[in-house]
Amino acid sequence: MTEQAQWRAATPQALAWRRFDDEIVIYNDATGSTHQLGALASEVMLSLIQNPSGMDLRALVGALTARVEVAADLDVAIEVQRALDDLTELHLAARAPA
Amino acid sequence: MIVSELPDGELHRLLGRSGLRLRLGPIVANIASPFETVEAALALHYASHEVLPDSEFADFHVAVDPVPGLRRWIRPQAYFRFDANPPFNPLAASQAFPLLEWGLNWCISAHCHQYLIIHGAVVERAGRALVMPAPPGSGKSTLCAALVARGWRLLSDELTLIDVETRRFVPLPRPVSLKNESIRIIAEFWPEARMSPVVHDTLKGSVAHVRPPSASVQLADQTAVPGWIVLPAFRAGEPMALTPLAKSTGFMRLVENAFNYSVLGRRGFDILADVVAASDCREFRYGGQLNDAIAVFDDLARVR
Repeated sequence: MTEQAQWRAATPQALAWRRFDDEIVIYNDATGSTHQLGALASEVMLSLIQNPSGMDLRALVGALTARVEVAADLDVAIEVQRALDDLTELHLAARAPA
Repeated sequence: MIVSELPDGELHRLLGRSGLRLRLGPIVANIASPFETVEAALALHYASHEVLPDSEFADFHVAVDPVPGLRRWIRPQAYFRFDANPPFNPLAASQAFPLLEWGLNWCISAHCHQYLIIHGAVVERAGRALVMPAPPGSGKSTLCAALVARGWRLLSDELTLIDVETRRFVPLPRPVSLKNESIRIIAEFWPEARMSPVVHDTLKGSVAHVRPPSASVQLADQTAVPGWIVLPAFRAGEPMALTPLAKSTGFMRLVENAFNYSVLGRRGFDILADVVAASDCREFRYGGQLNDAIAVFDDLARVR
């Protein structure tokens, strides 16, 4: 996986979400599933929803660190990539076609 | 006219013929049964409920009848009929009234999609609903009965109805179902409670029902706005603690305990999200100290 890979929300028209404090709950009408996302995954998911053309890992990390304070010792890129993997498994995020 | 005002013999006659047409909050059920235990339980638990004439529309036509043949004489059984069809296996005839209650729960939860329906108890104070969505064994019915005993209004012990248009909680005041140890606990805590005889060896263990207070039945047309979502967790002997719960977690517990969330799809999501946004979410661990528990809930209602 390269840093240039573009990510986007899967089936964005099918998604409904609501923010409660630093977490979101999200409903995917395409799968009928509802998910509770942790704080970091919530920020990543919201970034993808707000940027329908897609974002690469570097842009996602930039958006995250601009919006929320992260611990100095946290490798943000690794955590964001992990969140992307989780969101992909949940059919909430997908790699954008090249 | 309410059930307790029926002339002598009329309840028996209705149940044996066209059926007793009973208003259960927003639902009307037409109930027929030849079982004396069902008649006695209806007279006890639904004494304050309105009886409607046959000309009124009934949402559900149900009956609890004896299984015919040899089963009338050897280990007699009862079966629940919904529009003449039996959706469940028969149970021992001694369980005829619990079977009616469970059958009515099924009718409502499987068909009334004008409501988002949560498996949970709901009571009201000062116009606000306190919802306790929880699986069996969490102590929700015990807490519900105890709160009702101390003046909270019963909306429902089992089925929380949320109007899909207004997001308001709609009362469905019916008997509170107690199981196993909670029967003794509530009998001691609420000696004035009108409780039916205990039915043993059901699928849920020993079961008894408590009559809903007349005031709750009479106020069945008064809906409530969201107030509190509380997840009860009973552990015998555990110290009591009411702690904040993340709203996102409260939301997911409602989803897990909803009967028809998936039927309503995105609409169901929006309804629950609105309800959670307007509610305080808490987790309540307790070990059976009911007086202390009620004080905690009364404080919660005062703070709001």
